[in-house]
Amino acid sequence: MVVLNSAKTALVELVDVCKEYRVGGVITMALKNVNFKVYEKDLVAIMGPSGSGKTTLLNMLGLLDRATSGKIVFDGQDVSKLSDRELANLRNTKLGFVFQTFNLINRLTVFENIELPLIPKGLPRNIRAEMVKDALIKVGGEMEWLKKRPNQLSGGQQQRVAIARAIVGRPAIILADEPTGNLDRMSAKTVIATLLELNKEGHTVVIVTHDPEVANCTQKIYVIRDGTIVGEYRPNPDESLIRKLSKD
Amino acid sequence: MNPYMILDFIRLSLKALSERRVRALLTTVGISIGPLVLVMMSSVVGGYSDYIVEKVTSLGQNAIAIFPNENYKISDEDLQFVRSIPEVAKAEPFYSIQGVLKRGTEEIKVSIFAVDYTLLFEAIGSLKISEGKIPSETEVLYSIVGRKIAFKDSGERCFTLNDVLTIDVPRIEGGKITGKKSLNIILGAILEEYGGALIVDPDSTIFLSPEAGRRLLGMRDWSGIFVLARDPSFVRTIVSTLRSKYEDRLRVIAFSAIAETISSVTSAIDFINFSTSLSAFAVAVAGTAATMITAVMERTREIGVMKAIGYTNSQILFMVLLESIMMSLIGGLVGISLGVFGAHILSSRGLSIRGIELTFVANPKITSNLIVQTMLLTISVGLVGGALPAYRASKIPPVVALRYE
Ligand SMILES: Nc1ncnc2c1ncn2[C@@H]1O[C@H](COP(=O)(O)OP(=O)(O)OP(=O)(O)O)[C@@H](O)[C@H]1O
Ligand SMILES: [Mg+2]
Repeated sequence: MVVLNSAKTALVELVDVCKEYRVGGVITMALKNVNFKVYEKDLVAIMGPSGSGKTTLLNMLGLLDRATSGKIVFDGQDVSKLSDRELANLRNTKLGFVFQTFNLINRLTVFENIELPLIPKGLPRNIRAEMVKDALIKVGGEMEWLKKRPNQLSGGQQQRVAIARAIVGRPAIILADEPTGNLDRMSAKTVIATLLELNKEGHTVVIVTHDPEVANCTQKIYVIRDGTIVGEYRPNPDESLIRKLSKD
Repeated sequence: MNPYMILDFIRLSLKALSERRVRALLTTVGISIGPLVLVMMSSVVGGYSDYIVEKVTSLGQNAIAIFPNENYKISDEDLQFVRSIPEVAKAEPFYSIQGVLKRGTEEIKVSIFAVDYTLLFEAIGSLKISEGKIPSETEVLYSIVGRKIAFKDSGERCFTLNDVLTIDVPRIEGGKITGKKSLNIILGAILEEYGGALIVDPDSTIFLSPEAGRRLLGMRDWSGIFVLARDPSFVRTIVSTLRSKYEDRLRVIAFSAIAETISSVTSAIDFINFSTSLSAFAVAVAGTAATMITAVMERTREIGVMKAIGYTNSQILFMVLLESIMMSLIGGLVGISLGVFGAHILSSRGLSIRGIELTFVANPKITSNLIVQTMLLTISVGLVGGALPAYRASKIPPVVALRYE
């Protein structure tokens, strides 16, 4: 295996991580001795068949769940030693999540949705308003969306709002689980282009996807099968969604 | 947590409530019943109790009334005995009877009370003359009348000083009522409005001198003896002296004892009322808990997303708890306002005491203490009802944000 980017520091590192789910006596090994590193400014894709453990892996990288065994090192800290509150603070300051179903709150305006991660930071309103606008501009959103409800926007627009929410707190890493899973190809392209743009600006981006055309937009593809990382591939830019749609 | 955050959490809670406003409204209505009942009943009962106690005490802390029971006649000897008790300052017999007064075209029921005027004004401290003067001993035909006799309820005047009043009273011969007779007396003075009372209701009473009682009413037997103690602290001694001598031949009523009885009765009513409204509060707790637990379950994913975004367990707990507290705050405000409103309506209808034929109106007793206690109790409904749902919400794992079903 060729080690890329060895000069950079690992932002998140999984060492021999196992994750079991127990449901009524039935044990599922979702991750089996996974060793995985995400480096600063990485742009990586994780691919694999359904049920292979992609989301579970993302949960580990995103500090959403604790490993059954093994070690997770985030920004130099062993996270198993951290309390729930400290994990929440890390998620708030260092991580941004993008979900397949957007997970926007429809009773709140677009503005309030993007603002949501800033509330636990206890920032004053005017500063938050600036940060919200900045984030929306970065994802190519329009100011008139701010007053609307998320369900008044198209799927692609909603996902861009969701990305704005993920980056508004200026996190180091953006973790996206099937961000294009619910979108048509054109919308998928703008969303991926947005993520690539954010990566260029310095954000680390991890994308879980089924779609090879999406994976080919990244710099590195990991393939996971039955809870084990089985390979690491270089993407083929010619087969990327962005390239293909530009040709059409 | 800084002030910005608290305001933001309040805003988030209000938004969440407004999304399910029908449910929130119904729950709030449910919460408002407890404070409504508590404020309304407590203030009405408190108002009447205070009113009665005040009136009774104004009748004189040191006043005692003695009435004969059936088959007993009060004699001069009895009067002398009462006067001989060292603690007694004054004792005068009185006559009382019901009559019908012709006033223009209408006939109204009046009480006639013949008693020593000095004793009367001494015993009922707040009794004041508004027109005329107290008739002298020789002016047997002159009377003092209550406000409601000289004036209609509308304030329209019916009689002026020196008018002749014609009253029908029962004719009494040998202690038996044998018919009716008409009586003419002169209006010598009009009292200021007194506002209802017990045993005597000065506003609709015609007061006469004892001499007039004997001569005009033709009553040979006294209706009772009015006693003043030298000091309120002697009342008990006098009452027990009289009771041990006369046992059940005389009824001895000390006004201060009435006040005590009323106070203890109303505190019992208050306690019952409090316990009853507690059940309303308990139901409200259950209702709040039910509403909140459904709200939390419906928002499992949303709360998971908030967790993923970096909200801590205690922030989620606080946010959900704020929702139920908000409902209880609104429920409390609405309930207390309606309770105050209802208390005024309820007490404006007046309280009728059967037997004495007396209706009086007392303002509800709304104290800041009652309001604050009720509000705290109502807020605790939100706290207790919201506790379990808020705890459940705080334990929702952040991974649910990434689950797709
Ligand atoms: N909360 C859970 N409880 C029990 N089993 C779970 C849970 N979450 C995931 N699993 C199991 O763990 C394995 C990995 O699941 P995971 O969601 O990580 O797969 P995935 O690669 O994301 O699949 P998909 O492409 O369908 O999203 C699966 O067998 C799944 O059934
Ligand atoms: Mg998945």
